[in-house]
Amino acid sequence: MLNCKQASELASRAMDEKLPIWSRLALKIHTLICRNCRVFMHQLRFLREASHRFAIGYDLELSLEAKQRIANELEKR
Amino acid sequence: MNIGSDKLDPHTWLDEHGNYLYSYALLRVKNQHIAEDLVQETLLAAIAAKNSFSNKSSLRTWLIGILKHKLVDHFRRQERNVTFKDLTDEDDNFLDSFFAKDHHWREKLNVFENPESAFQQQEFWKVFQQCLSRLKPRQAAVFLAKEIDGMNNQDICKRYSINSTNQWVLMHRARLSLIKCLKINWID
Repeated sequence: MLNCKQASELASRAMDEKLPIWSRLALKIHTLICRNCRVFMHQLRFLREASHRFAIGYDLELSLEAKQRIANELEKR
Repeated sequence: MNIGSDKLDPHTWLDEHGNYLYSYALLRVKNQHIAEDLVQETLLAAIAAKNSFSNKSSLRTWLIGILKHKLVDHFRRQERNVTFKDLTDEDDNFLDSFFAKDHHWREKLNVFENPESAFQQQEFWKVFQQCLSRLKPRQAAVFLAKEIDGMNNQDICKRYSINSTNQWVLMHRARLSLIKCLKINWID
């Protein structure tokens, strides 16, 4: 029987790869009876979605000075 | 579509891709000046190697590829100065703040209500970025590679010279930390 620490490790791993069948089953059984671990899996999916949106929307601007400086360097080549 | 025009005119690269490269770099090095230097190095290297750009990938993907190499070089230089603690003793007590002695959760967990509304708020993304920047360097590196860059597991292990178990441990810890940080700092 898995404890929550182990279940959380498997749940995280399951986000990145397909778990071996026995781990998958063990996790499934654990989450049937454990509310906290079910919530954790929700949180993992939330985190993934947030990360992906962050990756798309993260948008900063070079300062004008930096841009000018880089442009000057490029000009020299 | 003629994408060849891009290739012929590196003068537009700074205007068209500079901010993107800068954002990408700053998220990883957390220092404005270093990020600016990396953008410059990347563009210089790209101009020098422009003949090797093939239209198979987009110009931006190609530039990011060069920037990634520059980042790896940067971290290598840095690692000579900063010694990361060995993975296992990085923080032995880390998991104790989440799990009790019997290995069950210390606290009742709660889902994030209304993800969509969170994603639409500036404040959420500010908190998200702060939480990312508080991760330990190795956790951050592996987490960003996986979730932001979309690298596959094999490449991540190769790039950071770790095995799959190391990767599971780092991802698990990064996720626990981020979720906890978001829960504390973001009121949904």
